[in-house]
Amino acid sequence: MSGPQRAGEPGTIRFTFDGKPLLARRGDTLAAALLANGIGLVARSFKYHRPRGIMAAGVEEPNALVTVGTGGRSEPNTRATDLFVYEGMVARSQNRWPNLSFDVGSILGLAAKALPAGFYYKTFFGSAKRWMFYEWFIRRAAGLGDAPNAADPDRFAQRAGFCDVLVVGAGPAGLAAALAAAEAGERVTLVEQDRVLAPSLVRDPQELDPAWAEATAAQISALGGQILLRTTAAGYWDDNLITLSQRLAEPGQQPPNGAAQRLWHVRAKRVVLATGALERPLAFAHNDRPGVMLSQAVRTYVRRFGVVPGQRVIIATNNDDAYLTAAAMRDAGAEVVAVLDTRPAPAGATSGFTVHNEAMPLATTGARHHLREVSARVGGKIVRWQADLLAMSGGFTPVVHLHMQAGGAALDWDDASQSFLPGAARQNVTSIGAAAAADPIGPTPPPENSGKAFIDFQNDVSLGDVDLAWAEGYRSVEHLKRYTTLAMATDQGKTSNMAALGRLAEKQGVAIPDAGLTTFRPPYTPVTMGLLAGRSERDAGAHLRRLALYDVHQAKAPTWQPLGYWKRPRAYPAGTETLAQAALREARSVRTAVGMTDVSTLAKFEVSGPDAAALLELICATTVAKLAVGRGRYTFMLREDGLVFDDGTVWRLGEDRYLLTSSTGGADRMATHISYVRQFLYPQLKVSAVNVQEHYAGIAVAGPHAKTVLAALIGEEVPRHMSTVPAAIGGVPVLVLAASYSGERAFEIYVEASKAEPVWSACEAEVTAHGGCLYGMEAMEFLRIEKGHLVVGGEIDGRLTPHDLALGGMLNKAGGYVGAEGLTRPALTQTGRKQLVGLEALDGTIPEGSMLITAPGQPAQGHVTAAGLRVLDGGSIALGQLNDGFARHGELLIASSPTRGLIARVRVVAPHFYDTGGERYRD
Amino acid sequence: MTDIAITQLPAAPLNVLEIWSNPLAVLDRFEKAFGPSLPPLGSSLQLPGRLLIRYEPAVWLVEGETIGLAEILGSDGSLTAIGGGLVRVRLSGAGWRSLLMEGGVFDAESKAFAPGCSAATVIDHVNVRLLVESDDACLAYVPLSYARGMIHFWTIAAKSLD
Amino acid sequence: MMLITCPHCGPRAQAEFTYERTVDSVVQPGTDPAGAMERLFTRANPRGLDDEIWRHTFGCRAWLVMTRHRVTHAIEAIRAVGPEALP
Repeated sequence: MSGPQRAGEPGTIRFTFDGKPLLARRGDTLAAALLANGIGLVARSFKYHRPRGIMAAGVEEPNALVTVGTGGRSEPNTRATDLFVYEGMVARSQNRWPNLSFDVGSILGLAAKALPAGFYYKTFFGSAKRWMFYEWFIRRAAGLGDAPNAADPDRFAQRAGFCDVLVVGAGPAGLAAALAAAEAGERVTLVEQDRVLAPSLVRDPQELDPAWAEATAAQISALGGQILLRTTAAGYWDDNLITLSQRLAEPGQQPPNGAAQRLWHVRAKRVVLATGALERPLAFAHNDRPGVMLSQAVRTYVRRFGVVPGQRVIIATNNDDAYLTAAAMRDAGAEVVAVLDTRPAPAGATSGFTVHNEAMPLATTGARHHLREVSARVGGKIVRWQADLLAMSGGFTPVVHLHMQAGGAALDWDDASQSFLPGAARQNVTSIGAAAAADPIGPTPPPENSGKAFIDFQNDVSLGDVDLAWAEGYRSVEHLKRYTTLAMATDQGKTSNMAALGRLAEKQGVAIPDAGLTTFRPPYTPVTMGLLAGRSERDAGAHLRRLALYDVHQAKAPTWQPLGYWKRPRAYPAGTETLAQAALREARSVRTAVGMTDVSTLAKFEVSGPDAAALLELICATTVAKLAVGRGRYTFMLREDGLVFDDGTVWRLGEDRYLLTSSTGGADRMATHISYVRQFLYPQLKVSAVNVQEHYAGIAVAGPHAKTVLAALIGEEVPRHMSTVPAAIGGVPVLVLAASYSGERAFEIYVEASKAEPVWSACEAEVTAHGGCLYGMEAMEFLRIEKGHLVVGGEIDGRLTPHDLALGGMLNKAGGYVGAEGLTRPALTQTGRKQLVGLEALDGTIPEGSMLITAPGQPAQGHVTAAGLRVLDGGSIALGQLNDGFARHGELLIASSPTRGLIARVRVVAPHFYDTGGERYRD
Repeated sequence: MTDIAITQLPAAPLNVLEIWSNPLAVLDRFEKAFGPSLPPLGSSLQLPGRLLIRYEPAVWLVEGETIGLAEILGSDGSLTAIGGGLVRVRLSGAGWRSLLMEGGVFDAESKAFAPGCSAATVIDHVNVRLLVESDDACLAYVPLSYARGMIHFWTIAAKSLD
Repeated sequence: MMLITCPHCGPRAQAEFTYERTVDSVVQPGTDPAGAMERLFTRANPRGLDDEIWRHTFGCRAWLVMTRHRVTHAIEAIRAVGPEALP
């Protein structure tokens, strides 16, 4: 008894498994390479830590899960059968301590009776204390590999694909279908999860020469077809959208071009599923030991990889296919000890093997890397053989996952093969080949000892667990799945579902198709999180939006402030200044001399046409049509429910042309709102509303010297407050709006963004010459709070009416604006509503975002929307919303932030702390 | 590696031409002035000194000269400058179609997307307008704020197209 | 991700579109206040076909009305809305 081995050269590719240096041949999967090195024990099972080997040769492998790669590149729970060895590969076994051969956790196997099906549920429904005790233990004892802690150094690409026909599976059926479509002039994409075409032909060359596959693929390519190897169709979605996961490098391998994997979104007019079939294991006691393998897998290792997984093999089957395995093993020089066929008489040629009919394995015993003994019931008696390998075949399950994911799809039950076959589907999809038909099988006798007869190897679910779940009252297949964890985890029951379903149907006393099916969910095989995240993994999926003057600011090393997708300078600290120091210096410069800041991100819409004013009087709740050319005014916008959702300014640039500005954060929402009103509600308007947010860069110049600075820049009379003039700075055309957000006389200079740099430089030179400086958002916030200007997202939070914000007097008396109907709702004029107030501290600093209470323990009556300070004099002030706030000026309250333990006594005042008469705007 | 070059072009005069009424009359005036028709959605028209690309039902992007257009529009439409907000990026070389599939959802590999064709779509979450210049080049109009990010995205993606 | 046939652009990926609201929530100009609030705050919300307003936001920016089955996602009809446009 020698276990798995390979004849001839050991190979030249160096890799390690659990630290042990090993050699592999080119084209080996890790599973093949391990077997070639005589390693049969590769994993410990999920729950009981039972020794496990390699059962399959494909993606359905339930046992042989490894962690491959190191650092951020490491990938846990990778199937050794779906992993091609590369030079320097580092693979490790999982769920064992201290090592695979001596695993402390395997003691659990001895105590298996303490961890029956539904263990988690039973414990969970017990006392909470018990659960707390067990949880620590369970989380360490049961499980798969560890997720890496380090960031993945590789990229994950995403790509769109389009085709007339997508063929999934490059076996003989898939290749033929792809060629036929390509020859018919169709745009074809053919995908294959393996690294080679038609791996089944390598396993069974008697069907077709494997060279046929290469020749066919060459024809498909020559006709313009696309063939993607190492690519799995993982999900089937609406309207024939299929997601593919493509390996550009093997798991854990450093990719050649930086991209490790690619997620494809392929939209196909028609989909052909040539996904083949998966072999089923047989259920008998200790059918999970290293050395018990699927029959076709054994044949694959022999024929494709030149690895003979055992020297004395027992074949156990209920169908003809396993006889091919017997022949392959004999051809490879192994001894076929016996063929155990469940059927009364052999169905095909037996080629001289010792065949026992009506025979079924009973149990196995094993050594570390292979079996020792197999016992079987043959007819009425028990027979034992010395054998190191058992190749089993319980029939075949067509791979219908994608068919079922396609939605609105049916399965037909085929009694002869005891399998579900793809039926009708709502989407344009057909299944062909072994995915659409399976060979007949004989009976599958139930095991005599069901407790150790595993059906779901990955989750350690035995037929006994199915029986237990039934005995405890779990009747539906969905309950069975959740109670036993059957068909969960990485293999999603590829090899276990049918056995469980058969047992459940038997218990229910119904035919298998009447027992019901669990949902086939994407992905077909596991995909890594990185693949789904794509490049989003690094920056939450969004590109940074850069200001036109980004580099100009960056050169001054500002403190940046994220604002939606934008980044804006928060302050420009000089030397060792802190953010607060810098912001206060900048704000004081605006109050005492002059400052300039970048306001490019403001939403801007240019509205032109005979109905421009009419559209604006729908969008804005203030009058617009009465504005004279060259004048502007403050405005605000209502949602249909009457609540204020944005504010800004509107300017009449010409007879039929206006500029509307609104908040940065609400820019996209405002664009949609304007478009809805114009395109959907009022398509008859003669108006063009163009989003010019990015066309113009904006520079605000504010302060007592702003007029002087601007006059020097434009060389002419500066516009009065709330007026606009076209001008030029250094020969570059600009639009000057005399508007203020700081409380000082101020101007906004708008310039085509591509020409903004010289204008900014000219402004900066002039501002500096007048003792001023740049200011950022923090200073802007100080200034606007002190002046009592509103900010969208702060005071304007979508919950207040114009009246609540003391803007009621500006409403268009004629009505007609969006939200006018909503504003008539009685609830919006009742007492008790939140209203805008100012707050000044009697002691301490008003905490940002604190709640306003009358006494500790009392409910909140309002909250602080923005906290700042008196720029020149110091002293903590804030804006806030307070129930019936207009009538409460003078009242003392407490601003409390219990989560931060901050508190301040405040007095309610009018929301204006600076130049309440607006003297500073007058020329 | 697939042959591809990503080039940011200098700023160009770009205007939105929108028609809000009597489109057939505008079309008539346009044809009288220039000869050919205003291009339909998904295509473009190159005239001496100006290029008209239609991306929206009632909107054309005019690159270059606008002389005469205001008269043709009369009171049925208007022009609005937007050139500061768009960056023109030329993707050239045989691989441009593959590159546009990266992070995209639009079939840039379709034979129907031929020289002169235009399309507005989303690439890597950014709205981008495309104009096929030739079999070897495609122009992308990218919002200014996203331009550097998109050029970076394309530069990286171009390294692993195959 | 659905495939939506834009009346202007042809079949395009759902990612280019934004869902905006249902047609039964539209407050047409001139609706009286009570009627307007009834439209805004009360929905039919059928399990089946409904008329929905979508926008080809990242494409031609046009507004669409789509009759869509809210269980199967099947789109029964789709029409453009907006000002008169050239073909």
